[in-house]
Order: sequence, then C-alpha cells, then structure tokens
Amino acid sequence: MKTSILALAAMATALTGPAFADKLDDIISSGTLRCAVVLDFPPMGSRDANNTPVGFDVDYCNDLAAALGVTAEIVETPFPERIPALMSGRVDVGVASTSDTLERAKTVGMSIPYFAFEMAVTSNDKAGIKSFDDMKGKTVGATAGTFEAIALEKQVKEWGAGEFRPYQTQADVFLALSQGQIDATVSTSTVAQANVKTGNFPGITVVGKAPFDTDYVALFTNREEYGLLNYLNLFVNQQVRTGRYAELYEKWVGGDLPDLTAAGVYR
Amino acid sequence: MFNYTFHWHQALRALPQMLDGALVTLQIALLSMAIGLACAITLTLMRLSGNRLLGGLAQSWVEIARNTPALFQIYMAHFGLGSFGIHLSPYTALLAGIAFNNAGYLAENFRGALKAIPDTQTRAGRSLGMSSLQAFRLIVLPQMLRVAFLPMTNQMVWAILMTSLGVTVGMNTDLAGVTQELNARSFRTFEFFAIAAVIYYLIAKAVTLAARLIAWRMFRY
Repeated sequence: MKTSILALAAMATALTGPAFADKLDDIISSGTLRCAVVLDFPPMGSRDANNTPVGFDVDYCNDLAAALGVTAEIVETPFPERIPALMSGRVDVGVASTSDTLERAKTVGMSIPYFAFEMAVTSNDKAGIKSFDDMKGKTVGATAGTFEAIALEKQVKEWGAGEFRPYQTQADVFLALSQGQIDATVSTSTVAQANVKTGNFPGITVVGKAPFDTDYVALFTNREEYGLLNYLNLFVNQQVRTGRYAELYEKWVGGDLPDLTAAGVYR
Repeated sequence: MFNYTFHWHQALRALPQMLDGALVTLQIALLSMAIGLACAITLTLMRLSGNRLLGGLAQSWVEIARNTPALFQIYMAHFGLGSFGIHLSPYTALLAGIAFNNAGYLAENFRGALKAIPDTQTRAGRSLGMSSLQAFRLIVLPQMLRVAFLPMTNQMVWAILMTSLGVTVGMNTDLAGVTQELNARSFRTFEFFAIAAVIYYLIAKAVTLAARLIAWRMFRY
C-alpha cells in the first residue's frame, strides 16, 4: 500500500514536472502577442484616419502573431520608451525599427535584421542646403535615440561647427524643420519621403543621401529568451523566403527592396 | 517579472558627463529664478498700480502661468513662437518657459506676503515724505521678500525639476538631456535614470539647505 502511494506520488511529480515555461510558451498560452511599435514613424508605424495603427511594423507584428497562432496587440511606444516597455513586462517583442547596435545588444536580444534603412537629408528650403556636406556649421536635428541621431551628432562633433538638437518624436523634428528652427535633418529615406508627402510640413525637401552605414533594424526581446529569439530569426528568414517581406515593402515603401544580408560574413 | 541585471560600472563611467549636465540644469534654474523674480516684482507692482489695463495684463500672466502645465509653456516657447517665425534655441525656450512659470507663481506668493504687511506701514512711510515707489521699495519690498522667502525656495526646487522638461524641445546639455542620450545609446535605462534621480535629489536638497542657511543669517532678530 505504502509503496503504491509513493509510486503514485512519483508519477504525479513526473507528469506535472517542474515547469520551465519560457517567454515563447507564455505568449502561446496567453493567446496574445504584445508588440512595441513606434507609431509616429511612417511608413513603418502610424495611425490612419480612424486612429487605427497601420504600417510596415504593424503588419509585421500581425504576421508574427498569426504564425504563433495568437492575437496581436500593438502597444504604442515612442522611441525612448521601447526598452523600458520591454523591461517592465508591458510588451513581449519590439517590432519598432530598432537598430541592432552592439551597445544595445548588451541590454536586449536582437534578431537577425528584418529591415534596412538608407539615410536621407531633408532640409528647409530657406537654408540653402543641397547635400550632406552643406549641413556643416548649420543647426541640425533628429529623433532622439535613433541610429541616425547618434551618427549625426557624432558628425556634428567631428565638423566642430554647428549645433545638434535631438527631439523626442519624429513629428517634432519635421515640425522644427518646417518652422526653420533647424536647417536640416537626417532621417531614414522612407520616413523623409512619407513626411514630405503628407504636406503637413511645408517648405521642406529631401535633398540627398547621407553617407552613413546602412541602418539594419532588428526585432528584439529579452536577452536571455533564446527560444523566442530562435523563433524570431526563423520568422524573419521565412518572411523573406515566402516573399512576404517584398510584398510588405511594396505595400508600404515601394522601390528597390533592401538586401538584408551583409556580404562576406555569417550572422 | 522584472528581469534586468544592473550594469553599474558602465553607467558610472558616464558620471562626469552627467555632472556637467547637472551644472547646466543648476544654471538654468538659477537664471530662471532671477528672471522670474524680476518679472514677479513687476507683476506685483502692476497689480498694485490700480491701472485696469496693467492689472489685467498681470492677472492674465499669473492665471496662464499657474493654470497650465509647465510642459505646455515650454513647448509653446519653442514650437508655438516658432510657428510665428520667432526662433528660440532649446536653451532659451526652456529658460523662458520656466521663468514665465516662476514669475506667475512668485507673483502669487508675493500677493500673499503683501497681505501680511499692514497698510499702515506704507502710510507711515508716505507721511515721512517718501514717494509711493520709495515706500514700496524701502519698506514693503524688503518685508515682502522676507515673508515670501521660504515659498521662493520651493519655487527654486520646482524650477530645478522643471528643467527636465527641456528634452521635449530638443535640449541635450542639461541633466535630463544627457541622461536621455546616454539611455538611447546603450538602453541602460534604469541605471542612468537612477543616477539622474539621485543627482536631482542632491541638487534640490543642497538648494533647500543653502536657503535655510541664508534665511538663518539674514532674518535673525
């Protein structure tokens, strides 16, 4: 009798077992994937006339949720709040055009690149800026915390002339540019074209490319969530393989599809 | 839930940069206080003048300064004026916004302080042959500043904390601006914000203590 009770207890322990549910399990069992998306960053993320989130990143999050078999929840996070949102457990994954710098990878886990940006210079028509080098000595600005802001500030310091101003949102940058508070900005070319096209910011023109490195952006989640990171890497790979990446690019951006691989090196 | 390993070593390496930012913060707060004080005394005089236009102007300044968020005031100084073609740099816009706010609150402090000074004092001064401005300057003002001194230190602390709103108008040299930038670069949000909070606390505490010391020196009977 005693042995059979012990055996039963042992079996029960073996069946229920110590649960090592990781984040991937948590997402699947909760039925909801919460994505951090930046919604003042068209065409990657913005709101339509009905205030519904739309954009490349929004679609990407929906695709990811569909692959996981859960519902997507878009959590709006301005650029500086992406990481606090992840760390405080308000979101599961960042689909937020996040540049995969080594400095940041000390804090969060980055997937392989899912998108790549080229940088463009947009200037106020009155400033007389026709190229990247004309920005020397001028007042320039960009969205605080972005790849291009970090690169532009470094450039201004190298030039040793002019002034750099970081604004909290992309909309503020273009507002300041349109008002002439700053003479030029460097932003991703997609964002520059989308903002000039809206007509909300008169008197500004995209004048050319900025010679910064290609800005590869990655999905991110907690650094130690290897299960989820593996899944994200495969998901990005599949998006490209199945042609969905090209489809979304055509839908939101258009033009030449950026290559997501760096030649001559493995990831 | 809270899954985060602190990297204090990396964050503390940026301490000199943050302390430089703290100096800028203190500088803006002090300047905004000086400008705010001058404006507040002018506003008080305008309200005492009995002239309806001047009084009305002063009253609207105080109403707007006290009843709208400081964030809005600073944002308007930069983007609001910007849309009329008046371009203030982030530094000036932040300074102007805080000084505007300070002036409004200080003017209200002064109004309260004035109530504590009996009218008879002004009348006594006038009967000694002082002009009304002289009586205000030599008799009422010193007493008013004395009564309003501690509320003024409150406003000073508030001014220091308000400087953190500068990030919304592109300020990147003050403590909040430097912190935001360090955070954007490395994503070590909690370390940098914790250090910034400690620095803000220490500045505010130092200002309060200094003010107490000054009050003890100046207002001894």
